[in-house]
Amino acid sequence: MKDENRIGTQNLGSLYTNGRVRSRREWRGIVDTAYDFSRWLHNWITMFRVVLVKPRNIKAMFRYRWMASYLAVPMMIDRHTQGLRNEHLRICHEEQDLIVEDVAKLLDKLFRGDRRIGNDREFSSKVVLVDENEMQSVMMGFPTVVPLSREIASTYIPVLLNQRAALHYIDVAQEYGLAGDVCPMPEAEAGVSIDDDAPVLGCCAVQCNTTCDGSLMGNSVISKRLELEDGIPVFQLATPLRHREDDVQEYAAQEIRNAIAFIEEHTGEKWDWTHYFECAKRVNYATKCRLEWLEINRTDYPQVFGSNLALYTETNYMAISGRLKVFEDADRKITALAEKAFKKKRMAANEYRHRAIIWGVQSHYYMDFLVWLLNCWGIVPLTDMLSMVNTRMIAETDTPENREQAIYDIAWLTENMIMRNRTHGGYKVLLDELWEFVEEFNADMVILWEHMSCKALDGMHGMFEEKAREKGIHLVWVSHDLFDPRVISRQGVRDQINSYMRTVMNEEPVDPSLEILNDVESW
Amino acid sequence: MMTLIKKLLSFLLKLVLIAVAGTALLFVVYFFNLDMKLTAAMEPLLTWFYDNKVKRDQHL
Amino acid sequence: MKDLKYLAWFENLLQEANNELVAAAREQGKKCVSYICENSPEPLLNLDGCFSVRLRAPRTGSMEMATYYMTSFLCEYSRALLERAIEGGYNFSDCLIAPDGCSMINRCAENMELLHAMEKGKEHFFYEHMEIPMKADDNGLNLYVLQCKNHILTPLKENFGIDISDAAIRRAVAEHNRVCELIRAIGEFRKGDRPTITGYEYSVITMATYAAPKAMLIEKLEETLEELRTREPDAKNAFRVRVALVGSEIDDPDFIKLVEDTGAFVCVDRYCYGSFPGRDPIHLTDEEDALTQICRQYMVRGQCPRYMNTAKLLERRSYVDELAKEYAADGILYEQVKFCDPWAYDRMLGSHIMRNEYGYPVLSIDRPYAVSGIGQLRTRIQAFIESVEIKKIHGGSR
Repeated sequence: MKDENRIGTQNLGSLYTNGRVRSRREWRGIVDTAYDFSRWLHNWITMFRVVLVKPRNIKAMFRYRWMASYLAVPMMIDRHTQGLRNEHLRICHEEQDLIVEDVAKLLDKLFRGDRRIGNDREFSSKVVLVDENEMQSVMMGFPTVVPLSREIASTYIPVLLNQRAALHYIDVAQEYGLAGDVCPMPEAEAGVSIDDDAPVLGCCAVQCNTTCDGSLMGNSVISKRLELEDGIPVFQLATPLRHREDDVQEYAAQEIRNAIAFIEEHTGEKWDWTHYFECAKRVNYATKCRLEWLEINRTDYPQVFGSNLALYTETNYMAISGRLKVFEDADRKITALAEKAFKKKRMAANEYRHRAIIWGVQSHYYMDFLVWLLNCWGIVPLTDMLSMVNTRMIAETDTPENREQAIYDIAWLTENMIMRNRTHGGYKVLLDELWEFVEEFNADMVILWEHMSCKALDGMHGMFEEKAREKGIHLVWVSHDLFDPRVISRQGVRDQINSYMRTVMNEEPVDPSLEILNDVESW
Repeated sequence: MMTLIKKLLSFLLKLVLIAVAGTALLFVVYFFNLDMKLTAAMEPLLTWFYDNKVKRDQHL
Repeated sequence: MKDLKYLAWFENLLQEANNELVAAAREQGKKCVSYICENSPEPLLNLDGCFSVRLRAPRTGSMEMATYYMTSFLCEYSRALLERAIEGGYNFSDCLIAPDGCSMINRCAENMELLHAMEKGKEHFFYEHMEIPMKADDNGLNLYVLQCKNHILTPLKENFGIDISDAAIRRAVAEHNRVCELIRAIGEFRKGDRPTITGYEYSVITMATYAAPKAMLIEKLEETLEELRTREPDAKNAFRVRVALVGSEIDDPDFIKLVEDTGAFVCVDRYCYGSFPGRDPIHLTDEEDALTQICRQYMVRGQCPRYMNTAKLLERRSYVDELAKEYAADGILYEQVKFCDPWAYDRMLGSHIMRNEYGYPVLSIDRPYAVSGIGQLRTRIQAFIESVEIKKIHGGSR
């Protein structure tokens, strides 16, 4: 399928240099370039307004190594908007610009309460530290409590911005004796803690065993310092692994009750059911919108897909969890744009050749790989594993029965945190359901991210191959090490696709200039 | 009265010219990626600072 | 020292997963309940009419098939088990109980299930995947009890007609405790300046109690205990230092032999498949049902690193310290099987804390599953022993 009316840059590879940044930004035609320019301005103003104008945040910039990665924020947006026009460009900006503002506020709050920086004790007394790898659903009933994640700020976002952001911390953890085969995400988070590079604030913390064994164990390194040295009490929220089984739901629910009691005890705030059900409505609205986008993606003209779907779902579903109205407004606008584009049968790239399900754990240092797939080879990433999350509507009306149900709903959402809802819970959710999605989305290809340190995923390698063979589906393995591009570089990731497309599919790239890129030094 | 209007118009014209020039300048920065080229040049300086000037209590 | 009369017999039981006692018990009509994680409460797997076997893969060579299915990034224990299962080495099993204790063991069990690796020709074969607690608290206890009921007791009853009553459980505990008491008593001979049992011998005997039907071992365990009471130690102590061995699963006594060949006496076996805490007797009262009491004790004493609350984290260190003091360990050897995520972190933390906060000399290593003849390991342990010895000579190892 081709778009003959496409305007703008054809050879996107020509924008790459051998250094950190691109030679220039993309020309997308007058209207879309003007739009992109206005959003660029908006984002810089946001960053100044929220973060850079405050001296304490500048102080933080010179204290925390990971802050250097935030120099690359506009470039991250450029990477994810590459090749986009019209509604797809606007959808991307709707999401990314909102995330930029949300993260800017996160940074500002972290430094406000940080004992080393702003040291606002009154503010800090209302802060609850939460894991990056944790559904913030347990905070839905605490309107005056401020949940903040140090890991999102110090590792998760920086690696999206700068492929080398986590390397120092991974090395620190390994210098202290941690084996190199563990997942680099908790490894880097542990490294931040060991390296004394995490803000210190909050009245308490809630850690969670999601995503995985590595995350559970990495938390022990962090809680040792947090609880035993910084004096911040920690509650470990244990979430069952066999989340599809009925006989674990009561355990999960009781953990939520215990977590709520812990937060109430340490913040002095009480759970607010009115606020909770307001958030629940937004969670349901987000679910409804996501299901609608996925429905559109099942057609020949998918609209919200690739990193537009993946990054936004991760943020909205996990980190926001209905707590902010502004994300509900964004959901509405994105849906309107998607419906408008669908009616016009818009395409997001010059050519669509393949329909793919992206499965497995994404290479975090190369999230814009999904955009590259589309632009270079015409492979449309219809959906990904991290976006195939909860589809169940939760109770949203305040009644005595629903208050009881709500605890189970929060537990259910926590169990179904992104990624772990597939990597744990048995082989059905990881292996069997993939093929159901392949059929539903009429996909002819599966791009399987093989995060080499993800034992839960690797452990099903052979079964994935056997099933793909049985069903006659092209299964393309793309190995990576999540946070560490030294193991497999971005070009190494691309080469796995390039080899398959040339040798097995006998195809030439849609945009040959993107096939080989020297971006080892790039952000 | 006419003088006042002329002065006002002159002022507004200058404002518009400044705004247009400013927008054009910003567009140049945007299109030629000068903001990222600048921040990329700042990165090594910051890294040097983190390596040499920040005291950390590194331990498990 | 004079050879223990039954050591060769115990060693022989460890040469094959389907050893002579497993075969004999099956011939008697008993059901073999295979399991792969220390978080499965053993007495529940040893009710009348069944016996438990903790799976191991002795004399593992290549793991190519398992590596294809699970990749080379998963721990070698899990791959060795899958390899052996694919080869048909566990066809003696009548069921598999697999707690979802860690991703690797879980995937191992799931691959066995998907490949139908163990149930050939068995009408009632079942696989059960259990949830187990991650914290030792009331909520965890409730979960544990429910999971044991749903995924151990009920399937045993429904598939094999096993009596799962409280009385039956208490009988199984009594037999389990008898074995534990014997193992503990045998282990006491590791104390003192001239121990009359080596760490290797002890590991063989202890391992046999995981790998073979317990009831059939009791007589020879009793005789071995009696033999030890009069066994004369060597005139000169062959060992230069005493070490506590701590960490992930070790089911190959050759690793203990390797350590002891370098001159270190393994006085404490705080690893998965060791006797601490796996061979602590279970104390039952009449005030509560046996199942709850068993689950509580397994949960409270569990040393698996997946227990993630801070209290458990601290307790794992203080436990090692208590054992090291009780058995007069000069140093600690922290080990993990390669590619084990939970122990990768716990080994890092444990090594640092025991060294810096408790003051023990610590050697921290990761090792392959099959360890015989690994030169590098031997060299590292030798160097560690020398450093501990020097510290002792200069007036105290801590």
